[in-house]
Amino acid sequence: MCTRWLALLVFSLGSSALLAQPTPPPPNQEQTMQILLDRIQQLEKRVSELEDHKRKQSAAQTGTSDSQTVAESTPMQANAAPAHALHSEHPANTTEIREMQVHYPSLQIRGFGDIDFSATDQKGSVSGFDLGQFVLHLASPLSEKVSYFGEVSFTAQPSGYDLQVERTIIRYDYNDYFKMSFGKYHTPIGYWNTAFHHGAWLQTTISRPEMVKIGGTFTPIHFVGLLAEGNLPSGGLGLGYSVGLGNGRSSILSKAGDSGDSNDNRAWVASVFARPARFYGLQFGGSVYHDKLSPQQGPELREWITSAHLVWTKEHPEFLAEFANVHHRDIQTSQTFNNQAFYIQVAYRLPWLENKWKPYYRFEYIHKPESEPVLSDVSDLVGSTFGVRYDITNYAAFKGEYRNTRHGINEPRVNGVFLQTAFTF
Amino acid sequence: MTADRKIASRAAWLLWCLCLFSLQPLAFDSARGVDVAVVVHPDTPVTNLTLAEARKVFLGNRQYWSTNIPVVLLIRAPVARERNVVLKTIYQMSESQFKQYWIAKIFRAEAASAPKVVYSNDMANELVTAIPGAIAFIDARDVRSGAKVLRVDGYLPGEPGYPLR
Repeated sequence: MCTRWLALLVFSLGSSALLAQPTPPPPNQEQTMQILLDRIQQLEKRVSELEDHKRKQSAAQTGTSDSQTVAESTPMQANAAPAHALHSEHPANTTEIREMQVHYPSLQIRGFGDIDFSATDQKGSVSGFDLGQFVLHLASPLSEKVSYFGEVSFTAQPSGYDLQVERTIIRYDYNDYFKMSFGKYHTPIGYWNTAFHHGAWLQTTISRPEMVKIGGTFTPIHFVGLLAEGNLPSGGLGLGYSVGLGNGRSSILSKAGDSGDSNDNRAWVASVFARPARFYGLQFGGSVYHDKLSPQQGPELREWITSAHLVWTKEHPEFLAEFANVHHRDIQTSQTFNNQAFYIQVAYRLPWLENKWKPYYRFEYIHKPESEPVLSDVSDLVGSTFGVRYDITNYAAFKGEYRNTRHGINEPRVNGVFLQTAFTF
Repeated sequence: MTADRKIASRAAWLLWCLCLFSLQPLAFDSARGVDVAVVVHPDTPVTNLTLAEARKVFLGNRQYWSTNIPVVLLIRAPVARERNVVLKTIYQMSESQFKQYWIAKIFRAEAASAPKVVYSNDMANELVTAIPGAIAFIDARDVRSGAKVLRVDGYLPGEPGYPLR
């Protein structure tokens, strides 16, 4: 566009100069006239070329408008394609079209990793670095309707690396309303567990909330079985659902029943969520989970978990809030126990410095009755986390956090500083 | 002297003609508002999308046009104006947020792949015609003959109220 304006300016000045000149006789008049005549011929030729070009474009425009399937209205015809020739850059050839079409199977691998540093004032704790989790994610469409997803993690342990199959899912898509899958999932309870999985880079903060901690027992992180999911016809409300039937927790409550259930009772889970079209970024929903627990130690229990979440996924601001109630009923004594937990997390992607900085705050709370018989590794918690995330690139981030937490009743507060670099590749 | 004046006048007239031709595309651009058309494969059973529905499709939350026709998303490579319009209007995301969104989407097993990248409007035209279920955003000036252009919120490109520009 600038070039055109520049051309106008040059031509204006040129033509004005030509008209305004008093035409003093040059030393060699005939030679000058010949030069001017040549120049005029060149310009006439150029005008002729431009006129031809315009005529061709007009013809193309008429053709386009006539044959457009939907674009039959006057504005579209008036506006369509006079500059096709000027814009033709990179037409696709047969090879490119073939390459663009999906081939089956078509394996994609992505990795996630994080390296962490922690230092706290808790008695007996040791500061230092650790390698966090190394996660590989595999996705492979097997046909138009069938796809496979897998996730494996390597976690550093004192005696080596702990390899876990976190997810392995084969899914058949009938349509948007019904997708059926089999395998090992992150249990669709609440929001965090199915939104961020094991990639620390995906989540704003360094750590997950305690209520959905990897290896924790407050809610079952994994679920082995089958899952039906999809959208619900609901117009602008944007409803979705998932319903699952599976093994539930194993006799070690932090583990799923990968190698089989611990009893003859199947666990089931149902969740519904809404993503209203009018409030793009908003999601809210709830879920119910039921299982029979047969722990290694302690009585057999019926477990009901109810949860609700409300999130605003945009980053100006980002808001995540989740609540879960874990209800246990002793099968023999009918005694009941209710454990509650929630967190609220707020973050804001700062609009300055190339949008790379994102400060955040999270408050979390867990209450466990003293008489709770099986959630032995869970304790009461009140904690605050202040931190900031800095995105070094699109695929790597630095995070720094200060945490102030109190585990248990009448226990001292613990202060800690945590650093992490998380990335995907 | 008179001949010189005539030559000068003729040359000035030609220069003005050139100016007008040079500026003509500029005038077209201004009048057109350079809309971005939503183009789909001719067999796609849709003629109109609301902006919210278009968003649902491009966010990967609607993955099928009908039971047998999966949605195939085509998007221009970074820096293209069409991509900027899509990111601003449909996704409401920055370039990096867009990349992170699709990594997360695939990682959640909610989509098998990210939108396919096309490098020109001609390539988009070719592919949207060749791949069943394909949908692309193409500069309205470059939409090819025979292409199926969707109404967005009931408007076609060029009509007042058309949201993608």
